[in-house]
Amino acid sequence: MITKRQLGIFVLVLGGLLLCASLTVDFAGVGGWGELGPLQQIGLCLGALALLVGRLLLLRGDRPA
Amino acid sequence: MNGQTWLRTAHRLGRALAVLVLLVYVGYLIIYLLYAGALFRWPFDYDQGEGFELHDALLYAHGEWPYRDNAVYPFYASNYPPLFHLLIVPLFALFGPQLVAGRVLSFVATLLTGGVIFAVLRREVGGWWLPALSGLAFWASNYVYQIGPLCRLHTTMVLFELLAIVCIANFEESEHGRRNLIWGLVFLLCAGYTKQLAVFTVLAALAYIFLRDIKKALLAGTALALAAGLIFWLLNTATAGQWWVNIIQANVNSFDYLMTISLLKQWFRLHPLLILLALGYLIYELFWSRLSAYTLWFFFSLATGALSGKWGAGPGYFLTSIAAAALLSGLAVGRLQQLAERRGGWTAAGFALLLPLCYLMQSVLLLHLPTSGPFWTPVARVLGVEEEVMAGQCADFAYYDSIGYTQLGHLPTAADYAAGAEIMRYVRAANGPVLSEEAMFSLLADKEVVTNPTQLRNLYENDLLDVTSLAERIYQQEFELIILRAQFYPDPILGAIWFSYAPVDEICMNGFLYRLLQPADGE
Repeated sequence: MITKRQLGIFVLVLGGLLLCASLTVDFAGVGGWGELGPLQQIGLCLGALALLVGRLLLLRGDRPA
Repeated sequence: MNGQTWLRTAHRLGRALAVLVLLVYVGYLIIYLLYAGALFRWPFDYDQGEGFELHDALLYAHGEWPYRDNAVYPFYASNYPPLFHLLIVPLFALFGPQLVAGRVLSFVATLLTGGVIFAVLRREVGGWWLPALSGLAFWASNYVYQIGPLCRLHTTMVLFELLAIVCIANFEESEHGRRNLIWGLVFLLCAGYTKQLAVFTVLAALAYIFLRDIKKALLAGTALALAAGLIFWLLNTATAGQWWVNIIQANVNSFDYLMTISLLKQWFRLHPLLILLALGYLIYELFWSRLSAYTLWFFFSLATGALSGKWGAGPGYFLTSIAAAALLSGLAVGRLQQLAERRGGWTAAGFALLLPLCYLMQSVLLLHLPTSGPFWTPVARVLGVEEEVMAGQCADFAYYDSIGYTQLGHLPTAADYAAGAEIMRYVRAANGPVLSEEAMFSLLADKEVVTNPTQLRNLYENDLLDVTSLAERIYQQEFELIILRAQFYPDPILGAIWFSYAPVDEICMNGFLYRLLQPADGE
């Protein structure tokens, strides 16, 4: 059984990866815009939301997810 | 009046509103039945691609594969898995080799989906009103209405997805847990082999099992992967690799995120109550309860919707999320109802009044109906949409849809039937096969279906198609007639057509302009 805390860690990692990917995609030569493109902005928002949800889930402790 | 009398009055008013709301949604069901009946009678493609799905079923009925080399005559292949088409085959005995066979199947799938939503909520929440309203709300969705009675496989996939989730949701049952899990996996397999898009429901189901029982999740995932992989391998071997090319490679299409955002906004604008209730229930379960299979299904279905910006996709990609939202919103309302009743007094009375009002407002946002005829004209007048017409490419239709312009939803007119007959006159007069962007003209004239234009474009855009042979035949004017509607063919094919053929007629059918071309030097 997975707990809220474990789920929170998973969501935090996903959010972190999404944030990193959104910020670094231009360096990999994938981004089509000079600055933050619209898809990157969406990625950043979703990443930030995932970090928030992950953090809140950590606070729920060992309750079953 | 004292407080108690006010409370009783509020409850009575709430009950009256509840009946009114139910009647409104039943009205939507009647409109849906009317539209379905009209499409069952319509013999031509109503939505581009329907005829190709029928053709796939006919190929199976003759023991042939629809996964073929697109560079070789008749330059035709399907880009969908086989289950929907295989399910149509037995219906040929009832309906004949006509579109109605596939349309009935697809329509019945939507009826069953609404029915299963009703049954789940009857069991989980109880009562009649809420389960009935949730099932009716699914049918009332503009997207379900438009796509439901088409000979397209999407609604059948949604039914299998829902059945899978219902079974998986009960995999921990002490008595029938194992049976439920096995059926759930079978339905997931069915959904995936109806349409590839079911992959997100597979993820939702496995995620749910994983949250509760990691070992079972690994076992179930392995079993499903093995079964799906074995079928995949058998199909790919039997078709000499054409399954892989046509099902996987041809479906890697360009993605327009702006289209996704636009459709997401439309999806939310049409179904705000269902979506907000579902999202609220998701947040409730995420932090204060345990995530259910239905909640995870709704969450993963958002990813399905996000793919709607893919070339060739569209609003139909939101059908899974609408089914999930209809179910989840019912669970959310059931929970809120419990809380309100526990508090009693004005909270319960206010809830009894507010709930039907919310569903009433939701019904207004979904508004779609024919606006002409002895019954519908007065209804449209009362609703203030009597003057509204749906402007097609070349004809207007007496149909209103809160979406705005839609290609689907209106009822075919006598002029459309006449236009279809006129096109068929050209097709029957032509010697040999006809190159048409819609398959039904060829099928109705007992001619071979040549090309699947969208599939050719998909493959061409992915550098997977050599168009030389087809272009050569066009330059040599081997087809006596070419019928274009949306010009989906790859650019070199369109170039060859316009170089070697000349327009002889333009016929308006079903709101679209059909261009009929014959060899240029034969004018």
